[in-house]
Amino acid sequence: MKVFIAIALFALWLVLSASFNPAHVVLGAIVALIVAWINPIGTPYTRRFLWLRALGYAPWLFGRVVKSGLHVSRLILYPALPIKPELIQHKTKLRSEGELVVLGNSITLTPGTITVEVAPGELIVHAIDASAQQDLISGVLDEKVSRLFSAWEGDQ
Amino acid sequence: MSSFFVFVLVTLTMLMLVYLYRVIRGPSVFDRVLGLNGISTKAIVLLVLLGTMFERVDMFVDISTGYALLNLVGALAIAKFLEERGTSEK
Amino acid sequence: MTALAVFLIVVGLFFLVVGSIGMMRLPDVFSRAHALSLTDSLGAVFVLAGLAVYEGFTLNFLRIIVVLLLVYLMNPAISHATLRAAYRSGLRPSAKEEK
Repeated sequence: MKVFIAIALFALWLVLSASFNPAHVVLGAIVALIVAWINPIGTPYTRRFLWLRALGYAPWLFGRVVKSGLHVSRLILYPALPIKPELIQHKTKLRSEGELVVLGNSITLTPGTITVEVAPGELIVHAIDASAQQDLISGVLDEKVSRLFSAWEGDQ
Repeated sequence: MSSFFVFVLVTLTMLMLVYLYRVIRGPSVFDRVLGLNGISTKAIVLLVLLGTMFERVDMFVDISTGYALLNLVGALAIAKFLEERGTSEK
Repeated sequence: MTALAVFLIVVGLFFLVVGSIGMMRLPDVFSRAHALSLTDSLGAVFVLAGLAVYEGFTLNFLRIIVVLLLVYLMNPAISHATLRAAYRSGLRPSAKEEK
């Protein structure tokens, strides 16, 4: 796992520095190795993030973002401004920090809903009108986010 | 193509003026913070666009990466500060 | 390739303009944050993607994609932090104001 992180960091270094003379490349490799070696990987009581499934999740989320973006821009452009903003409490089964971060970020990224407050098992979400809340209430988002993580580790 | 880029550039600048109005007028402190955040997003796009126009994207992309990171740290710090202090302005 | 780039940039500009209009029209902080998330997560991303496509598939393409991902992942964090500060300091969303 640390090797994977080191490789990813090194690739990022190459992309950002964009110079391939030996001194820079070697320096980048050394820095990537040191950073990957120093940093700990999670605590025993976390669920691991599955990167390959995230590759499938991101395009799905982007499709949702475009769809609700069109909806919200129609609301804004409509002369009568037919918005009905309200705060809703969203109960969720997700507990671990990683899941809550991904869920909250996805909610905020989607136009029409914004996470206001986060606590384990409960989110306060500001929704701009009733149809923007559909994904949340039907629990599709929870389901998808939950599937991004492996089963609980270190529980025994 | 270059005239199209100039058009996009001018439009983005006009939009930044709209956000600037919100920063100056905004009833609460948080409106101002949100307005500034919008302006910096547009500035990031603007920098990459300028780089494309001058055909020096390699240089301008670095600047906009730095700008994005500074924007993140600055906005989070301001939000944290306002949260601690509360606000007297409503 | 250029046509695709122009199309993406125009779509992005549309969302940016709509976001700005929303910033002017919507009544309170919480609703305005919706306009902001519209501009950030759609407008900026589409314009940057258009510029990346115009640049062609070189190293610069990847670097613009890095900036795009930065914008895409960090703006939710910023608007959430701002709104949480607003919420904790006692602001509540108002009902739609009649002008």
